[in-house]
Amino acid sequence: MSKVDRQLDDDVAKSLYAKHQKIYPREVHGKFARLRVLAVVVLLGLFYGLPWLQWDGRQAVLFDLPARKFYIFGITLWPQDFIFLAFLLIMAALALFFFTTLAGRLWCGYACPQTVWTEVFLWIEHAIEGDRQQQMKLDKSPMSANKFRIKLTKHAAWILFAAFTGFTFVAYFTPLRDLAHRLFTFDLSAWEAFWIFFYGFATYGNAGWMREQVCLHMCPYARFQSAMFDKDTLIVAYDEKRGEPRGPRKRNLDYEAEGLGACINCTMCVQVCPTGIDIRDGLQYECIGCSACIDVCDDVMDKMGYEKGLIKYTTQNTVEGNPTKVLRPRIVIYALILLTFASAFIYTLAVRVPLQLDVMRDRNTLFRETNEGQIENVYTLKLVNMDENDHEFNLSAEGIEGLEMKLEQEKILVKGGKVLDLPVRLRADEADLKERSSTVYFQLNAVDDEKLNVKEEARFIGPRK
Amino acid sequence: MTEIENKKRSLSGIQKTIIILWLSFVMAGIATGVFFSAIDPDALSACVTFPEVSRMGAYTIGFLLFWLLTAASSFITKYFLNS
Repeated sequence: MSKVDRQLDDDVAKSLYAKHQKIYPREVHGKFARLRVLAVVVLLGLFYGLPWLQWDGRQAVLFDLPARKFYIFGITLWPQDFIFLAFLLIMAALALFFFTTLAGRLWCGYACPQTVWTEVFLWIEHAIEGDRQQQMKLDKSPMSANKFRIKLTKHAAWILFAAFTGFTFVAYFTPLRDLAHRLFTFDLSAWEAFWIFFYGFATYGNAGWMREQVCLHMCPYARFQSAMFDKDTLIVAYDEKRGEPRGPRKRNLDYEAEGLGACINCTMCVQVCPTGIDIRDGLQYECIGCSACIDVCDDVMDKMGYEKGLIKYTTQNTVEGNPTKVLRPRIVIYALILLTFASAFIYTLAVRVPLQLDVMRDRNTLFRETNEGQIENVYTLKLVNMDENDHEFNLSAEGIEGLEMKLEQEKILVKGGKVLDLPVRLRADEADLKERSSTVYFQLNAVDDEKLNVKEEARFIGPRK
Repeated sequence: MTEIENKKRSLSGIQKTIIILWLSFVMAGIATGVFFSAIDPDALSACVTFPEVSRMGAYTIGFLLFWLLTAASSFITKYFLNS
């Protein structure tokens, strides 16, 4: 083992057992690294791009908290539609279970915001401070004007990027164009400024400073994901049988004759690891399945003229020499539940009527008798037009023979996205009331759209029988 | 190899604090979502005398109060478990 290697091993040991030491992941190139770059570009592209998109003269995706409405392309959701959000969260959790059982920590390695943003922060760090060796040298050197300049540039770049991230985050909740305008005229509300700062600070802290610490200590998913693993789950593993005994050797040496395994102990897999572990020690909960070690080891194997795949995606069963089963009860059950929720979600969304009718009885008087001797009940109807267009409605009531409805206005017009409070009086002859409390139904129909209709139940109270 | 090697690390005070703050942050976020989907802050401020705040402000204050509550609960639990 060379002096450098020993130094590296010492560093790794220290980072595992001593107080936290900064991990300098070496840059990787390869199949899986390209996949991750793709994931970063697509996911962050979506995050930063969506608020700029327009739809029907408004922002396409806007969670308008001040107005209590969520716009998602053509759909407008109201607080009453909370069920859809609940559905989405359940589906997201189930999808996470499903993919974890199937392919291990795919989420951690490619899609988690922590991974994705850390990747970008690493790129920035790499562009400004240089590669792994240069970064370590810079951090060991005493403070100088040059070091100060480099560090300042890096943090300025990080903060700028983080601030833009915070700005984008807030733009999901308050229209982006308006927000940008107010940002540049220094006219942000205190709350907006607070959230931009808060989210920006969290990004800077998590992706710049905390990094793998978040995965190791803070992430709840990292703690329970192993419960979803079985022997057929895809894991990143080192082929111990083939690799050991490890050791350095000359390139063209017949290592098998020398009693050596395929691992040349170059420690590249340790150097690229973002959580600073040695994959050769076996499966560890710190491993986020990013497969950086696969890429770099394949590279080394290529250079040595050995077969690739000393570290690879495999399953516990394959490692033990047993066949791997993809379709197994766990997978099927997760898939079925996921499918059920997804169909229920799509169905509910498809049959959703963007109209709501709430009926409130007058609380002060149960009923009154009119001059004509009829029994009268007073209600306040709340018409919620959740559609974006204005609609005129027809209202009718039924449930008691000869039921009459009195309205104070002739036309019921509700503007798009507005609520109308409508006082209504119902009258019936006492002779027609079979019980003290009868069930009546209000039927609300849009004049221009027959699909837009709701029926709501209410009580009609009369004198004691 | 299925036994995932679980190295016992001793966490520093700062790390413990951050863990508590982060998890209570997540729970406060969920609580805020559920609470304010059911209750409109404007309707709420009609019932109680409270200085004029916008909805955005009410959400923020609500979230911070929830966070304070969840974090306080976790910190107290940690304190009692330690002593």
